[in-house]
Amino acid sequence: MNVTVQTRTEEIVIDELFPHAPETIWKTLTSSELMGKWVRMAPSGFEPVVGNHFTYQTTPAGGWDGVIHCEVLEVIPNQLFRYSWRGGHESNVGYGAPLDTIVTFTLARAEGGTRLRMVHSGFVLPRNETAYRNMSGGWTNAVERIGAISGS
Amino acid sequence: MIQTASIDDVMRALADPTRRAVFERIARSKEVNVGELTRRSGVTQGAISQHLRTLKRAGLVAERPEGRNVFYSAKPEGLGPLFDWMSHYDAFWRERFANLRTLLKEIDP
Repeated sequence: MNVTVQTRTEEIVIDELFPHAPETIWKTLTSSELMGKWVRMAPSGFEPVVGNHFTYQTTPAGGWDGVIHCEVLEVIPNQLFRYSWRGGHESNVGYGAPLDTIVTFTLARAEGGTRLRMVHSGFVLPRNETAYRNMSGGWTNAVERIGAISGS
Repeated sequence: MIQTASIDDVMRALADPTRRAVFERIARSKEVNVGELTRRSGVTQGAISQHLRTLKRAGLVAERPEGRNVFYSAKPEGLGPLFDWMSHYDAFWRERFANLRTLLKEIDP
């Protein structure tokens, strides 16, 4: 099996309608205090200004101190907010492995509120790994699918 | 998360259909011994033992000796290498969106 030879990049997309105005949602995305409340990690040194560098502290793993380094890349009030999300260490596999990704929030006024779309992109995965995720029934179901992936 | 085996180790251990069937059976029971695994497998006890060793090396199975028996249980965390950053963040953002919904309800009822 050539599980680590070929790689591909993948993204996580969450798209939900919220019964609130874009301006209200924008505040929760771009105010340090409110970010801390729902992201459950308070950003350190954050300003909603392009070029701003800030960090999040999460659980360390192996050679990684658990610091996520972010840089604000794009700010269009009430419409778009994008920042980089980097962390991890070469010594780790899985959680804690090197990570160089981008998080983008897009807001669009919709009937009944605002459509908020979050795209976390740039995950580099061994090609075969894709099928292990997107599992609906937990990890035993994932195992059942390994046969199909490995061609056995 | 404990990371001892690599993705390759785990993949290799689970690529064999018989071994995968053994692992699935262990995963479905709380604990099971070699005799029980052999009875329902259609292969010899020696073969099952061999598969158990491989699964153990890959960090997928734990063993607990009790008298003359050894009981095997699955270690979900052994699949950790397959559950990379992306699955971590998939769960992370889903949970965070739920938090955001609650927060918005509080600040803008």
